Order: sequence, then structure tokens, then C-alpha cells
Amino acid sequence: MAAITAENLTITYDGVPAVEGVTFEIERGETLLLLGPNGAGKTTLIKTIACFHREYSGELRVFDRPPCEARELIGYVPQSHNLNERVPLTALEVVAMGGVYRRGFVHFKIAPEILEKAEEVLNFVGLAGLAGRLFRELSGGQKQRVLLARALISDPEILILDEPLSALDPSARAEVAAVLGKIKRERGITMVITTHDINPLLEVGDKVMLLNKKLVAFGKPEEVLRDSVIKSVYGPLARVVPVEDKLFCITGDTHLHRHGGGGR
Amino acid sequence: MIPEYLIRALLASVMVSVLLGMLSPLINTKGLAFLTHAIFHALLLGAILGMIFGLLLDNLSLVMLVALVVTVAVVLIIAHLEKLGFSPDSAVGIVASFVAGLTVLGFGVLYKVMAGKPYFPLSESIVSYLTGEIFLITLNDLTVLVFGGALLFFVMLFLYRDFLYLSFDPDGLESYGGNTRAYLMILYVLVGAIGALIVQTVGLITLQVVAVLPGAIALMVKSDLRKVIGVSLFLTLGIQLSSVILAYFTDIPPSGLATIMLGVIYGVLLFRR
Repeated sequence: MAAITAENLTITYDGVPAVEGVTFEIERGETLLLLGPNGAGKTTLIKTIACFHREYSGELRVFDRPPCEARELIGYVPQSHNLNERVPLTALEVVAMGGVYRRGFVHFKIAPEILEKAEEVLNFVGLAGLAGRLFRELSGGQKQRVLLARALISDPEILILDEPLSALDPSARAEVAAVLGKIKRERGITMVITTHDINPLLEVGDKVMLLNKKLVAFGKPEEVLRDSVIKSVYGPLARVVPVEDKLFCITGDTHLHRHGGGGR
Repeated sequence: MIPEYLIRALLASVMVSVLLGMLSPLINTKGLAFLTHAIFHALLLGAILGMIFGLLLDNLSLVMLVALVVTVAVVLIIAHLEKLGFSPDSAVGIVASFVAGLTVLGFGVLYKVMAGKPYFPLSESIVSYLTGEIFLITLNDLTVLVFGGALLFFVMLFLYRDFLYLSFDPDGLESYGGNTRAYLMILYVLVGAIGALIVQTVGLITLQVVAVLPGAIALMVKSDLRKVIGVSLFLTLGIQLSSVILAYFTDIPPSGLATIMLGVIYGVLLFRR
């Protein structure tokens, strides 16, 4: 069964198209890496899939339902720097947030089973010892893993991640990428991930979409990460360089993307 | 023998402290300081309209009711504008400018009405709403403050975590099944209703300061949520009670003393940083 299908999807803001005529399909359990320059429409596309934005034409289905009817199947992971860190919440409370709104309107006390599940998913993302730590006191990579745990607590069918590696140092990027790999392997959740840096994510990516307001390319990584495709978006200085069994994608905006054919 | 009016003032201070002490951290974390500025304008407009109606109908108990209705209407309009996509500051700016203009017009009407009514009680003077007249609180005012305050307190308490989540990540709250719009509306109505309820004791001029600074100070000195609320509560209580007692002996308006004390504490903490 297809997890996400889009046919001739055009997304607009006040009538002005931000994404035009996009058609693609993601199967259950697949991971889509969404690549493109700033303003390409990556965040617009994922926000529409997650039902934050509703102004679109064409067909968009999430597990064969309109996106807004499939919200309980979706776990959305925002960029951590979009959050208001003045709020003194602990890592555990942030994770529990993903579970409490399944029932009730008043959440004065978090139900014990939700706290138990929150601890379980924190353990899954490797942060069992940091449950009581304030969210704002965590490192960038730890914050991102807490947000992943928050999305996982509701057992979603799809995870949508907005630039999970942005503003992270290389070791934190590796940490987060490792957790994403674990989610894919152990939970088989469909994921849609926007990124400027595809390199650490190629382990988990089944498909790559290159977007620049319109669909430039969509397919398996080795099909999309080609010289001519990359140049068409990032300009003539961009290129794909084969080194041994790996592809390095050098774009005009200095982002380095690499695709390895074998296991790394 | 402690005068009865002082006991009423102290009891009113306790209720005001409980409400503001709980609310203030929320105002700071959600970034509602500018909203309290709009509430200042709305309360003043509401008090003026209330006085006009009260004088015309010979029923000055309408003042608080009209102030409450106007304030709640204003905060609901602001919340609605935010949901339409305006930033919180823009929404407040749009509404507050209209309300400020209407307030000035209202003053003109009030003066004309007052000219036809040469006497009305000092406790209902518009000046008492500006500076706060805690020593003029009647038993009836205190009863309204205690019962209304208790209701608002429990609503705030039970939804406190939801308000924190709303402040932390409204998109996340929405995506996990929460009703962002409803929580935002309730929070804004709470801020407006608490403002209307305590305005006679705290005063319009100082309302914004006493609503914002305790939470700001608590967030500066503590990071754990329970401790933040605890510091905010005890600070507000200490400031309110001491300002009433000082005012009793010095004849200086307590709202002015409370504001100055809070300002000094905040300033000292900022300098120490």
C-alpha cells in the first residue's frame, strides 16, 4: 500500500504557487529524502502532507486518505530552533506532549502509562538518563532525538522531519542519522526528511526527491544524484564526483552530498 | 485593632497574588507582555463605558461587568487575528490602536455624562481604576474577587500544562491532536478576565508591571517549573502584602510601591548578571 501519493500537486499561498505540479509515490516503510535549495518548497510540501497547510490543488493522499484525515498516523518533527525554549519543560514532559492529546482536553497530570511510554521511547533514542533534564539544557543532537521520541510515542505510521540535521555539528548529525536508521530498521516507519545535507542520511534514504518549486528529479539515490540533475538546480559549478564506490555531490552552495554504493 | 478596610485589602492582596503569581510565568513564557498592554487599554475603555452606563442607569456596579465584557471581547479579537495569520504583536497593535482611540472618545462622552451627575462615589472614580484603590475595596468587591478569582485560578491550574505546551510548540500541539485555537482563546480570556477582576486593587497603570515582572524575575533565578511558579507566587505575595502595609503607614498608593519594589528587584538581578 502506498504511504503517500501525490498527483499533479500544486501548493499555493494566497493563490501564489510555492510547489507546482508534483507527482510522486512513497511506499509504506520507505524513506524519502527531500533535497533542494532554500525556497524550493521542501517545507511547504511536508507541511501540506502533515496538514499544517491546506491550500493545494491536485491529489494528495496519506494512506489513501486526505492528509487532514490521517493526522493520527503522522508524527511531525519540527526544527528544534523553532521551539520556544523559554518554557521550562523537561525532556520527559516534551516527549509526553506527543501522547497526551490523544485523549482529553485537560492535562493537569500526565497519565502514568504515557509517562511509561515516554521513558520507553526516550530509551529507544538513547536518552534514558536525561528524562529529567530541561529541554533547553540539552545539546542540539539530544534535542533532536527528544523530538524524535515525542513523535514516536504516538506510534505513527509516517514520520515527517523538517531539516533534522540543521545547525548540528558533524558528530550530532551522525547521532541523529543513527537514530533514524534504527527507526527504519526496527520500526519500519515511513519517513519524509527534508535536508540540505544528504550525506549522513543516505543510509536511510530509499528515494530522493530534488525539488525546486517543481519536481526536478525523483527516484532511487543513484538515479537522482547525477551530474546533469544536480547542475540543473545548483548551477554549473555543482557536480557529482565518483570516488571509489561512492558518489560525492558538490553543490554551488558548498553543501557536500555523498552516496555510497556499498555498506559503510 | 486592625481596621476592617486593611483586613479587606490584605485579603484582596492574597487573592491577587495567587492569580498573578500563577499567571506571570505564563505571560513571560508565551510572550504576552504586549498583550497585557492591550488589556490595559481594553480595561480602561471598559471602565469608561461601564461608568457611562453606570451613571446613566444609576448602577455603578456595572463598571466591572462592562470592563470584563469589553476586555474579553478585545482579547478574543486579538486571538482571532492571530489565528488568521497576524503575528501576536501585529494583532495587538491593530486592536490596541482602535481601543486607544475609542478610549479617548469615551472620555469625552464620560465628561459630558459626569457633568449631569455632580456626585458619584469615590470608589467608582475612573482615577481609582488607573491607580488602584485597594483600601476602598468593599465586602462585595472582595466576595467577587475571591469567588471569581478561585474560578479563574482553577481553570488556569488545570490547563497549566496545556498552556506550557502551547507556548513551547503550538504546531506540535496541533499536530498531536490538541486544539491550539481553543487553548489560545482560553488563555487570552483568562488574562483578560484576571485583569478585569484585579484592576480595582492593582490599578491599570501598574497592571502590566505586576503581571509581567514576577514571572520574569522567577524565570531569571530558577529553571525548574515548580520552583519558577513558587518564586513567582511568593514574590507577588510578599510584594503585594508589604506594599499594602507600607501604604497603610505612609499613605502612598500601594500599587506604586509594589511596582517600584518589583522594578528594583528586577534591575538588581539584571545588573548582577
